[in-house]
Amino acid sequence: MNVSVIAAGWVTSHGYGTLKSREEQVFAEGETIYSAAKSSIFTRPVRNFGRLDRLSRITLATVALALKDAGIEASPEKKVDVGIIGTNSTGSLETDCDFFRDYLDNGRKLARANLFIYTLPSSPLGEASIHFGLKGALLYTAYGEDPLKSLLSTSALMIEAGEAGMMLAGMTSGDEGLYFLLGEGEGISSVSALLELLDTDSDISTVVTKARKLTRLV
Amino acid sequence: MLPVRAVIVAADMLTPYGKGVESCFNALMEGRSAVAPLTRFSAIEFPTSIAATIPDLVYHGEKTIVMQMFERLFPAPIPPDSALILATTKGEIDLLEMNLLGLATEADDSRLDKLLSKVAVLADVSGKATVLSAACTSSSAALARAASLIRSGKEESVLVAACDAVTEFIYAGFSSLMALDSSPAKPFDKGRQGLSLGEGAGYVLVMSDERAKREGRPILAEIAGWGMADDANHMTGPSRESEGLINAISRALVSASTDQTEIDFISAHGTGTNYNDEMEMRAFTALFGSRKRPVYSIKGGSGHTMGAAGLFETLIAIEALKRGSVPPTVNHVNCDDDAMGWVSSTPVSLDSPGTALVTNSGFSGINTALILKLNAGGNW
Repeated sequence: MNVSVIAAGWVTSHGYGTLKSREEQVFAEGETIYSAAKSSIFTRPVRNFGRLDRLSRITLATVALALKDAGIEASPEKKVDVGIIGTNSTGSLETDCDFFRDYLDNGRKLARANLFIYTLPSSPLGEASIHFGLKGALLYTAYGEDPLKSLLSTSALMIEAGEAGMMLAGMTSGDEGLYFLLGEGEGISSVSALLELLDTDSDISTVVTKARKLTRLV
Repeated sequence: MLPVRAVIVAADMLTPYGKGVESCFNALMEGRSAVAPLTRFSAIEFPTSIAATIPDLVYHGEKTIVMQMFERLFPAPIPPDSALILATTKGEIDLLEMNLLGLATEADDSRLDKLLSKVAVLADVSGKATVLSAACTSSSAALARAASLIRSGKEESVLVAACDAVTEFIYAGFSSLMALDSSPAKPFDKGRQGLSLGEGAGYVLVMSDERAKREGRPILAEIAGWGMADDANHMTGPSRESEGLINAISRALVSASTDQTEIDFISAHGTGTNYNDEMEMRAFTALFGSRKRPVYSIKGGSGHTMGAAGLFETLIAIEALKRGSVPPTVNHVNCDDDAMGWVSSTPVSLDSPGTALVTNSGFSGINTALILKLNAGGNW
């Protein structure tokens, strides 16, 4: 089976864009991915977007771009057989600290459920699954080495084995994110070609630069 | 060429019942619950203060709860070239607690990738190492990934290690969700009011059948099929249509090249919350119809061990296949209407069972299904 890179969406500190359609937007002064997501990226409002943890917000924005790049209009009413596998360098550490600090500040009597939910590293992926109606597998992974290459390989294997129709595979770091959409058949390139382009431990901006070379290979 | 089979060749587990599969299985068969008053930390401010904990572990001491657990399981006869998948939700979260309580350590030390390195050293494996976290389906998803790596020929030997601990962070969180029953959890019971937390650690060594034979290792069971699917519905509540679990089971059946008629019994997730148990029974009814199979949950006994639950439940299901007897659902007294004829408060004997279905579900609407086969034909 030929598993390909179908599309991708990315967000860096400078702007955001898509791979297949080669769109790129540079942030205007004062603009952030969060304001841009609300005004230009989401096709319908994300419930409680402003109250979500940072990882969930960046994941939602990046996944929205990847699905848009693929021309997939996914929603809870129109669920799609797409799975999601994601990684980042620190898991849910930021929310873990927020949750437990808040609990301590409340005299160890009261914890906040809406913070606790995001202390699962898989929760940002869950937010994306719910908003976009992704009914495939959902996995958070962390690797000792080569995180992006590893999760791309895992996604390709899941598609080859018939475990998923398509897979979103990506990573977030701070306010940056990158998600590839992989699937069977023709795409921008094969997954193996993408893997060959990637180095170990590349940051998101570097991976975006390399991945854009794929579009020139077509 | 015969397809590669993913077989389980070694396993061990540590639960509040003690070390080993038998200690847990025997306690379940006797209907004993390990859920008891919490002494590890003060829970007097919470609506309930019970959990199933391992009694002699030191909390906020020199080593974390999960590392103390793993030190009782490793070293073990694991080939050094094995890949490692560590399944957990919160790992060493007690390190973060200690940091924020001013008891030294760095909060950053609680990261799951750092625990991964420690477990790799303890288990003495040098293959590719991965953390897998998928809420309460973490370890069953990890077993699915291990089996997939073996079947595809990418790996020959994969160690799946799983753990989670009852700590103040986790207890406070589940309390805030109002998810805990004030008495030990009663899965599939009319009077169920929530879950009981539990803890433990375990491992399963998954190998290709070819390598297992080559090394003369005993084969405990085959992971014959697996499926994963999401409800895409709600962060903490399961789907009212059960479509995620139905999809996961359907995929697992296809993956195992089998169908519902071959399933001898079902190890359910069975947390004891109203919504979860209802959702599961709806899925089983949709798929099995009037052909009711014995369904049980171990969580009234072991407590809900979060990310480790799927691994424990897999090992208990293998033991049930071996013994031809399905454990009762502990604390199950007054059967809910939709579970009638499926769930039992007493052990159920089966005539030479060969195939079991193990299901798990978790926050974010994640569902997994595993199909386990015993060496019924002796043709390994």
